[in-house]
Order: sequence, then structure tokens, then C-alpha cells
Amino acid sequence: MSKKRGWMNAVLMTLLLCAAAVPLTASGAVESTTEIDYFSGRVETVEWTDEKIAEFEQLNPSITVQHEFQKDASNVIKVKLASKSVPDLTTVVNQDFIDQGVFADLSDAPFWDRILPSVKDLCTDLRTGKQYKVATNVTMGGLFYNQEIFTELGLTDAQTWDGFVANLEAIKAAYPQKTPLFFGGKDSWTLGHLIEFWAHGVVKQDLGIPGSRQAFLDNTVQWDAPDGVMEQFAEALMELEQKGLINDDAVTASYDNQKEAFASGEAVMINQGMWVVGDIISLNPAMAENIGFGPFPSVVDGFSPMVLCAEDSVYAISAETEHMDEVMLFLDYMFSPAVQKEYSEVRSMPSAFTDVASDWSPIKDDARRLVDTYVNINFSTEAPSGLSVDDTGRLIQKLLNGDYASAADFAANYQELWNKAY
Amino acid sequence: MHISTTSWHRYMALPAFALFSLFFLLPLIQGAGLSLTHWDGFSTPEFAGLDNFREFFRDERALGDVKTTVLFALGSAPLLNLAGLSLALLLNRSFSGRNTTRALLYMPAVISPMIMGSIWYLLLQPRRGLLALLFEQSGITLEGNWMLSGPSALTVLVLVNVWQYAGMTMIIYLAGLQSIPAELYEASAVEGATGVQTFRYIVIPELLPALKINVITNIIGSLSVFDVIIALTGGGPGYDTESLSIYIMRMCYGNKTGYSTAVALMLFVIILIPVIISLRFFDSMEDAA
Repeated sequence: MSKKRGWMNAVLMTLLLCAAAVPLTASGAVESTTEIDYFSGRVETVEWTDEKIAEFEQLNPSITVQHEFQKDASNVIKVKLASKSVPDLTTVVNQDFIDQGVFADLSDAPFWDRILPSVKDLCTDLRTGKQYKVATNVTMGGLFYNQEIFTELGLTDAQTWDGFVANLEAIKAAYPQKTPLFFGGKDSWTLGHLIEFWAHGVVKQDLGIPGSRQAFLDNTVQWDAPDGVMEQFAEALMELEQKGLINDDAVTASYDNQKEAFASGEAVMINQGMWVVGDIISLNPAMAENIGFGPFPSVVDGFSPMVLCAEDSVYAISAETEHMDEVMLFLDYMFSPAVQKEYSEVRSMPSAFTDVASDWSPIKDDARRLVDTYVNINFSTEAPSGLSVDDTGRLIQKLLNGDYASAADFAANYQELWNKAY
Repeated sequence: MHISTTSWHRYMALPAFALFSLFFLLPLIQGAGLSLTHWDGFSTPEFAGLDNFREFFRDERALGDVKTTVLFALGSAPLLNLAGLSLALLLNRSFSGRNTTRALLYMPAVISPMIMGSIWYLLLQPRRGLLALLFEQSGITLEGNWMLSGPSALTVLVLVNVWQYAGMTMIIYLAGLQSIPAELYEASAVEGATGVQTFRYIVIPELLPALKINVITNIIGSLSVFDVIIALTGGGPGYDTESLSIYIMRMCYGNKTGYSTAVALMLFVIILIPVIISLRFFDSMEDAA
């Protein structure tokens, strides 16, 4: 009898423990929450994103957003994909992932009506004609210059390569102690952007954005063509170096040195994207009114000056997610005009939403002028993903270090690197 | 009743063996498997036989990195031992402030090599580093740029690495020196041995275990160097100072994960060869002593 009572007590205790472990609401109903994983690599907005997630969770108590930030997100996500733990929502997207069917088709999502058509085009996968990613902002890249010095010397946007060199020579003549154009080549991606903007830019202008995207995808651009774009690009850089128009430590100075040199007035021009503006103003608030923004000239005669105007702040949803509705609800909140206005101002980047007006940067008037006046080019998102700007920048390190016998050798090496990564 | 205690001891090794298998043997076997595939790191691996290994011997960048890595190790490992042993001999004597000096010399070894490398970059950066600015203020302009040439950049990397880890090598030698019985020194003094003779016939044979540990760990550490190069030169200019470890990382995340695993196995072999030679050498020395 006592043995039977002992069993009964054990069962009762187990049931009580189970009941205590289940969270109950005040009314006694079981509260179920859905957890969505949000994987991001945006270092600039980690705290801001956490704030927005807290606000969203307050409005939607049944959804929890697990925000994971990784500085090295583009690599970490590969580990996640290999281990089959694809986050529900991510900001890290590349063409290979799209080709592998990692992301869900967003073509019918409601937000496209509010997004600039040009940005929607850049979000469209060329192979399928569908959208597997959405970008909320536009980023721009070009030549930042010291407005005061440009005005004093009567310089304007160079329309040709010769005009650009003439501008730099005028700066050197007037201010021998200053660096006309400053490179921070130790961080080789900053040099890799020269290929991305100056050399790829010519191809994009020549073939048009859709044509160049397709050509990159099909690997039909001949980078080592005699007297082709890459050879002329190398010659252009060597000319700048030989004429002393760039800093003599262009290969060993860092990105931080580049920003500091521009902020302090040591450098008159730098080639960068608008992500640099916030840091320059932090280093020297007086520069807020003194930053000019211009296009980069074509290294090949007969082409117009260009400005990088590309999609930024991309999101994609896992094709395997079990919480599509919850993720869309979260994106709906994040894409609301008030949140996007904040984001645009935090990132100092114009919004891709047509119903968002923000005061995003002191250079916004210049940026508008450039978009309207010059050829807009995009990022080479269809270039082989194994070919990073870090790698291409290393070729320029070697070029500026005199390691190539000729510009043709540089072009041949680039073609080899491209083919290997393709 | 007879209870075999020996067999119990064997079973006690099982947990350690299980952990070793899980975290070393299994990844090694998986790695060997992946080295035989073309794999970008996220899609399905395709069997490629020995293609990756054949590619390694045709890959100029990889072979250049092997050369850089070996040169770095040839500079770093002997210098580390030389510096560590010299410091240990100096600090084995008694003088005021000895413990503080030992602690100061050991301190760099406990700081992250990435942080250390970044600090050295701020000090040594051509044109803009603290050293260059101090020289400039003294009216001396440093000509040339050590980061632009492979040999000079590699020399600086070796010296920074030696500066960081000499303290660790010193501590091991110091422990070895302190374990030498005082009677041996007294006996050699009675026999009229010179300082050099004492060092040759007393110190060196007694230090063999410490020498063995230091030589082998320094060979392994130097051949797998990563952090200090990333922080100081990033492997540049171009790939002139890129080590094989850096190359493996870059290939792994550059959509050539299968190939990078093959290169990692090659690095394993490159490290294994001098380690086995050193082990045999020290074993024969110990036998002779």
C-alpha cells in the first residue's frame, strides 16, 4: 500500500513540476512566442537596431527577434549555411547564395511600390528576373574634396582624365605641402575600390547597367585586352604616382590615415564612399561645411565622369523560414517611413523609399547634383564572389610598388585573378 | 580475489580519448575528406580526388607563401631561443628588481598578438608612426619605407614576434636553469672549469628538456604565424609577407574551402617535418647525455 502511495506521490510531483515550468498568463492561458533570427553585419547600427527591435517587440509581444551581429558577417554566414542554420532574416546577401536558392522570392512583397525603380532593378536577379533581396538605401561613391581649396583655386568637376590630372597639378602647385589625392592602401579594399569604381565603371558605362551585370555574370569582359580598360587604368594610376600627385606612402597608409589626412586638411581629395562622411566630421566638425563631392573621371577617353550610386542596406529572407509572416511583420515595422527616416540619418545615406524625406548628410545637395548630372554606376554584385576588393586592392599595391613590368602585365594578372575566382 | 588495477587505469583514459577524438581526430578526418573536394563552403561538396593537392604545387601564390612562412620561421625560431636563453641566463642571477624585470619581459606574451601588432604598427608605420615622428622632430628624416619591400617587412615582423614571445621562451629556460642542482656548479668550480666549459658540459645537457620544448613550440608557432602579420602588414605589399595560415583563411572564406583544407593539410606536413627531425635530434642528444 505504502509502495503504491509512493508512486502516486512521485507522479503528482512530476505533474506539479511540469505545470510550474510552463509560463502562464494572468488569465491562465499559455502564451506562445515566435522567435525569429536576424543576422546582421552592420557595425554602424548595432545599438540602433537593438532599440528598434525592443520597440517592435513591445508592439508585438508574441514575436521575439534574436539579433546577431558579426563584424565578419560575410564569412560567418557561410559557416551558418554550411551547418544548415540559415537565419530567418539577414543583411548578408551575395549572388552565389541567391543561385543556391538560399533566399525566398520577395517579388510579390508589398514594399516594392514604395521603392525607387532603379533600386528595384538593382535588386532583381538577372537569371530569374525575380527579387530575392530588398535594399532600403542608396549609397554613393566618388571623389571627396576640400571645398575651400577648390573654390580658392577655381577648380570644378573634372570632365576628362586630363582635366582631373590638371586639377591635381594645380593643387600641388598651390599647396606643395599638401597631398592632392590620398590613398590608404594598407587597407587594400580602399585600393580595390579604385578598380571597382574607375575601371569596372567604364565597362558599366559602356554596356549599361543591365548589360554589364550580364557580362560579369557570363564572364565575357576581356580585362586583358591590349590597350583595354584595365591597361589604361593601370597607366592612369602610374601617371599619378610618377607625377607625385598621390601620397608617397599610398601603399602603407591606412584607411584611418586617409580619413585623418582629409579631415585635417593634409589631403585635398580622397576616393571614397559616403560612409566616410560621418567619420570625417567626427574627426573635425569644421569640415561639415567644407566637404565637396564630385564624380570620378573616366580613365578611358570618350566616356563621361561617373558616380557610384548603388543599392545599400540589403535584406533577404531565408527560403526555409517557418516564420515568414512574422519576418514580414518585422520588416513592415522596420520599413515604416519614421523608422527609415531615422535609419537614413543614422547611416548618412539617402533612403530608397519614395515616401521618406530625411536630412541625411551635409553633402546631400552635391549628391543630388551628381546623380542628375553624371553617369550612375552600381557595385559589381555579379563579379565572382571569390574575388574580393581586398584581393584586387593587392594588385594595385603591387602596381604602385613597381612590381609590374608594364600596365599590360597588370591587366593580365587581373584577368588571371578574375578567371580563377569565376 | 585478484583485482587488476592496470585495466582500470586504461579505462580512465577513455574520457580524455573521447574528447581528443571529438575535437581533434574527427575534424582531422573530416578535413582530410574535404581536402579531396571542390567546395565553396556552403553548397554540396563535389569529389575532386587529388586536384586540390596538384593545384597547390602549381599555385604561385601558395608557393610564395610557403617561402615566406619558412623564411619567417628560420628567422624567428632561432632568434626566439637565442633571446630567451640569453635573458634567462641574465635573469638567473640575483640583483634588485629581478622579479619586476622578469614580469616585464614576460608581459608581452600575455597580450593579444593582434593588439600587439596594431601597437607596433602605430609605432613603426613609415612616415606617420611614432618613431618616424620622433626622428623627424630630431631633424632626422628616415628614408625608405620598410613596409614596401618583402625582406625588410619580414625582418620587422620577425623582430616584433621575437620581442613578443622571448619572455615566454625565457620563462621555460629559467625553470630549466633553476632545476640544475647547485652541486654540479660547485663540482665544476672545484675541477677548475671555465665559464664556457660549465655552460657546455653542465648547463646545456641539463637544459635539454627545456631546449626541446622551446625549439619545438617555437617551430610550430613560427610556421603557423598569423596575427602579427595581419596586424602589421596585412600580408602586403601584394602578397609579399602573406603566411600560409593567412592564405588558408583567405581561401577558406574566398569560396575555395575545399582547396584551403588541402593547403591546411600541406601546412600540417610542413610543420611536422622539422618537428620530427627536432624530436629525433633531441632524443639522441638526451641518450648521449
